[in-house]
Amino acid sequence: MADAEAVKALSGLLNGIAQRVYYGNSEITEELLKDELYPDVPQEEFRALYEKMRGLLKSVAVADMDQTQLEAFLTAQTRKHGGGGTSAEQAAALARFWKGHRARVRESLLAQSRWEPALRGLSWRVDLQTATSRGQTSNSPVALVELELGRNGQDSEFVCLEFDDVKINQVLKKMAEIQESIDSIVHHS
Amino acid sequence: MADHNVGFWGGRIPREVVNMAKHLKDLDKQLFRQILKAVVNALDDKECSGCMADIIEDNSLSEDKLSDIVSGMHELLREALRVPPSPVNKESFEQDLRELRIFEEFIADLSCIVFGYGRPALDASVTKHGPRLPKLETFRWRVDVAISTSSLSRALQPTILMQLTLFDGNLHQFEVSLSKFQELRYNVAHILKEMNDLEKRSVLQIKD
Repeated sequence: MADAEAVKALSGLLNGIAQRVYYGNSEITEELLKDELYPDVPQEEFRALYEKMRGLLKSVAVADMDQTQLEAFLTAQTRKHGGGGTSAEQAAALARFWKGHRARVRESLLAQSRWEPALRGLSWRVDLQTATSRGQTSNSPVALVELELGRNGQDSEFVCLEFDDVKINQVLKKMAEIQESIDSIVHHS
Repeated sequence: MADHNVGFWGGRIPREVVNMAKHLKDLDKQLFRQILKAVVNALDDKECSGCMADIIEDNSLSEDKLSDIVSGMHELLREALRVPPSPVNKESFEQDLRELRIFEEFIADLSCIVFGYGRPALDASVTKHGPRLPKLETFRWRVDVAISTSSLSRALQPTILMQLTLFDGNLHQFEVSLSKFQELRYNVAHILKEMNDLEKRSVLQIKD
């Protein structure tokens, strides 16, 4: 296999593993990766390569390695002798892959530890009530807010609420408190 | 102005109100007030079957008469409460009732319900029972920092847990990531600005 093709296949393999393991894409299977990327390699050899790259990626992802940590890690891996060693091309492919995917993999790992439904989105509308079947016309604005909530991998649930301006103001003040509380623990570099 | 005044109902006084007016001619003032109180309670979504039962028991009014009076009064007040309580409306309301030859005393009582001190409370109760979405009762929050998880050795990521209790009794709890929190905060501020702008504009536009 030519070098350029080997690099391409490796990067394809890493992408495939990430899709399967971290991005929840169940359409990508081990067989599919073998058929597409390594059709001529014996099954056992491919399996060993797949497991090795998956293991390496997992170590890098769990520790959320930065550039320096990754280099140190890969250097140590390539120095390993014997069957478990990592080749220079594999190390380079992993380094390149990680550069582009670190943030997304981290986000997906964080999401794996969230069990409460998460806020997915919101939409809102401000109305002016002008008439009702009973009662007077108040002419005061009303905010209608729809929150989209959902657990990982499940359909969204929608919660609709109505606010007057006093309540919106209160909520906004609470948000400022939350922001303060976050600022006190997160140190922006 | 009087010539152009089309009256409170625009010339089409509801049949129930006309029927009521006929029966009011020989009605005792005390009884009128009793019935009025029961009807106002009904509009206010308060208990009214008790006082209705008292009225039926204590008085010699025939059932037909009483039901005409009650339904007429209910219709009259319900329609009148839909209209903003301005002096112009008060005048045309009273004028229409006078044309039905209702006693001045009764008109004053009815007018007092619709345009008097009790109006804001009635409006509030009516608004409360109108069609609307649930409102937020309490908003509680907590900021967590995940230190380490089964999938990430050093997560160190703050998340916000929010708990909304609504007036309809439902409780919603959800996590908000930092980026979603910023989005939420921005939108809430935006809503407030829109509402304030709208209030300023409507003060300029809507005048009697």
